[in-house]
Amino acid sequence: MNFQSVIATLHQFWADRGCLIVQPYDIEKGAGTKSPHTFLRSLGPEPWSVAYVEPCRRPGDGRYGENPNRYQYYYQYQVLIKPSPDNIQDIYLDSLRALGIRPEDHDVRFVEDNWEDAAVGAWGVGWEVWLDGMEVTQFTYFQQCGGLDCRPVSIEITYGLERLTMYLQEVDAIAKIDWNDHITYGDVHLQGEIEQSTYNFEASNPELLFTLFGLYEQEAEQLIQASLVLPGLDYVLKCSHTFNLLDARGVISVTERTRYIGRIRSLARRVAQLYVKQRQTLGFPLLAKQ
Amino acid sequence: MASFLLEVGTEELPAAFVDSALQQWEARVPASLSDRALTYSKLERFGTPRRLALLVKGLPDRQPDRQAEVKGPAVQAAFKNGQPTKAAEGFARSRNVAVSDLEIRSTDKGEFVFVQQTIVGKPTAEILTELVPEWILGLEGKRFMRWAEGDLRFSRPIRWLVALLEAEVLSISLVNGSTTICSDRVSQGHRVLHPQPVNLKTAEDYAASLRTAFVEVDPQVRHQDIQQQVTAAATQLGGTANIPAALLKEVTQLVEWPTAVVGKFEPEFLQLPPEVAMTVMISHQRYFPVLETEQKLLPAFIAIANGDPAKSDLIAQGNERVIRARLTDGQFFHQADRSLPLADYSDRLEKVTFQEALGSVAAKVKRIMVNAGLIADQLGLAQPQKQLVLRAAQLCKADLVTQMVGEFPELQGIMGRDYALASGEPAEVATAIAEHYWPKGAGDRLPQTLSGQIVGLADRLDTLISIFSLGMLPTGSSDPFALRRAANAVVNITWSAKLPLNLGQLLEQMMAAFTTDFPQTPAALPGQLQDFFLQRLRSLLQEEQAIDYDLVNAVLGENDPEYAERALADLLDVGDRARYLQQLRQDGILEQIYETVNRATRLARQGDLATSVLDPAEAIKPDLLQQKSEQAFYQALLKLLPQTQAALKQRDYDQLVKALGAIAPTVSEFFDGADSVLVMVDDLELRQNRLNLLALLRNHARVLADFGAIVKV
Repeated sequence: MNFQSVIATLHQFWADRGCLIVQPYDIEKGAGTKSPHTFLRSLGPEPWSVAYVEPCRRPGDGRYGENPNRYQYYYQYQVLIKPSPDNIQDIYLDSLRALGIRPEDHDVRFVEDNWEDAAVGAWGVGWEVWLDGMEVTQFTYFQQCGGLDCRPVSIEITYGLERLTMYLQEVDAIAKIDWNDHITYGDVHLQGEIEQSTYNFEASNPELLFTLFGLYEQEAEQLIQASLVLPGLDYVLKCSHTFNLLDARGVISVTERTRYIGRIRSLARRVAQLYVKQRQTLGFPLLAKQ
Repeated sequence: MASFLLEVGTEELPAAFVDSALQQWEARVPASLSDRALTYSKLERFGTPRRLALLVKGLPDRQPDRQAEVKGPAVQAAFKNGQPTKAAEGFARSRNVAVSDLEIRSTDKGEFVFVQQTIVGKPTAEILTELVPEWILGLEGKRFMRWAEGDLRFSRPIRWLVALLEAEVLSISLVNGSTTICSDRVSQGHRVLHPQPVNLKTAEDYAASLRTAFVEVDPQVRHQDIQQQVTAAATQLGGTANIPAALLKEVTQLVEWPTAVVGKFEPEFLQLPPEVAMTVMISHQRYFPVLETEQKLLPAFIAIANGDPAKSDLIAQGNERVIRARLTDGQFFHQADRSLPLADYSDRLEKVTFQEALGSVAAKVKRIMVNAGLIADQLGLAQPQKQLVLRAAQLCKADLVTQMVGEFPELQGIMGRDYALASGEPAEVATAIAEHYWPKGAGDRLPQTLSGQIVGLADRLDTLISIFSLGMLPTGSSDPFALRRAANAVVNITWSAKLPLNLGQLLEQMMAAFTTDFPQTPAALPGQLQDFFLQRLRSLLQEEQAIDYDLVNAVLGENDPEYAERALADLLDVGDRARYLQQLRQDGILEQIYETVNRATRLARQGDLATSVLDPAEAIKPDLLQQKSEQAFYQALLKLLPQTQAALKQRDYDQLVKALGAIAPTVSEFFDGADSVLVMVDDLELRQNRLNLLALLRNHARVLADFGAIVKV
């Protein structure tokens, strides 16, 4: 099964189970969790079921394409369902069957793994799913997000698309993944890995990035004050990515580091609180569509 | 007699919680049953990642009946002129007895009406229905969660309940928002090998029925089975399995139906430091490594799978790909890291936080170097050796910013050693980098090189001083910086390496250096640190060295500043004296001198002679010695003086103990002989002279221990 078929299969599978299939969010981020489809929608009482592919950027993970298993740009397949269904593990196993992985033929295990993202005041408990010893999915019951209790609790399922496809195709390097039947993942992304790693570690302009961080922060601040939730989140995400670039460049000192994370967290918390208030004012419209 | 089965079915629990929950049940359930007067013959506990279960055997059908005495109104209120009042009648009615059944008893508050009644025991089923929800929801653990819309909190979502008293379902329910989890007789088998539900006929059928559904519910059976399978698989590979106890315990709680699966990897990966492959196998993949010889790994591993034993080959292939990818990462990191000399990584430690208020690890390394220099100077090390120590200190944390340690933090120190050697550092420096983290816990190996010992001490003393300076002292069970462990390690390294260190002086010097960098350091710090070390000494002597508590008091003193200072000034000596006293007690020698010295020590408290005075000439006026026995005491003390001074100087306490033994009869004569001396006479000058005789004896004995703290056994 090639890479694009894996995505198409998961789309079909989760669409059949009532998930809204949405498109990637157009701002750089380190994980699918930071998309408003998860970060904001996991808050408040409204039900929500969604699935999407999310490209992720983790500048510090760049290895110039030389490490077969680690890229600074990769894809997550993200599912979020609120409230968490009782039989979610069985549904997940069915999604593996849809991909041609029969759990009966393998050793599929749910191994304790708790998740925390201090920068956005979020944590949850769950597992990493092991398929014959390989971690292919993260399962998380969201307990808090943006510093707020999640009620009801959402379940987040994050598939590592490259890992999963490497497993299915029995290849030992991300670059060797067949994207379709004649183009590989390497054809699409290898040059990007080399260039972006060069950018992240060597060519970026730290002074400019520091300035941008300050500007993005100012903009987030004024948008939050104007109660504009989504534009506010956009600029929080820009702050977060700019911070990651600065961090990868090695120009953030110890004391600064914690301070920067603290600044992003306090903005993220305010966006989260603002979102809940906004939905309340709107009368939590999705409750009616249950 | 009946058996009761409780099974709490869950989504996959953390391995450590399964063990902890079963232990909590073992501790609480018996008390919970006995509180309700229910007896039982046996309590069995079962657990897998997906279930916690209890089987209580030999329960009675109901609680035993019991006799109860119920107190009613006071006699004055119950009877008027010998006739029962309304109060008496009402009481009798409320207890369902006739007025003639009421008895009068006197209590310390006067006479009251009582009735003797038999309370019929409740049915066991009824009691269990009340108790079981408490058993489930009373379990405690880390990071409990909520799920769906409810408020229930547990380690992972609860999905089903089985509650069977013999063949009957006991009705128990847990409400979680709009969902109610109700007990039934239906359990679940293995997630994929037996997807159909399992109907349990009776409580006692539990383990056997689940075995037919590919679930071994008994953790002990799984534990043994895994151990046997792993051992056998290793033998087949021509090696020996490395089975760390903690890994075996964890793996036991990761599977319901264990199968050992053997995988192999390319021998070229064995060129990496063996710890890399070991860490990947043990910590990351929960595999058991296979050793060819004690030092050499085989390029193979044993995984414990939870899948279909018939699919082992496919499962092995998948696992082989994972370890290959991991080891390829390791190879990549190893190569990339070694492209720079280890020393070049030190600069990057500026970016790694040690503790927010205390700055970077680079700053910590500078302090470690200062501390290591102070220790080296106190030990009087020659320049070349001191240079090795300082170089090891300078490089001890450099590997923290290498890619390998970034990916495998457990390899800190180990990679530093490897990279130091590759960078051409002296062997002792390389070894010290690895060793300065030892011991990692109680009973772990200790550093062998002098540089490793000194850097280990310097690092821990910095951690203690700097974290204490923030006021973050350990409290109760909370010790996030493992400060107790750090202080214990300081003492244990000093003892085992026999380093003649003056810890008190070192702490002073190190705190002075620290305060130059951090002028805000609180004034209470030195006292707090000294107290902390004294506490640790006390606990190590008692718990690790098994010294009796009174003998520990006798060497450390009880709020005795002189002894506290002496202990910190010479850690080796305080340990030696404690062990020596314990030996004297075992050999029966202590009792020969205990009586006289202890008595003199206690009586001497009435006087005021300083504990430092040893020379009788300084404290005794010979012309006041009236009786023969006190003159003899004085002569004996004069004779004792050179012996005590020699003992003090050479730390040869044997000599002192022999000398004390020799004068014991003289002191006995003084106290109890035919010519016994009354110490507390009215003449103050005379009294002081006599008290001083006793105080001198106390002082001589104090060179070894405070005999006043010793308890006669």
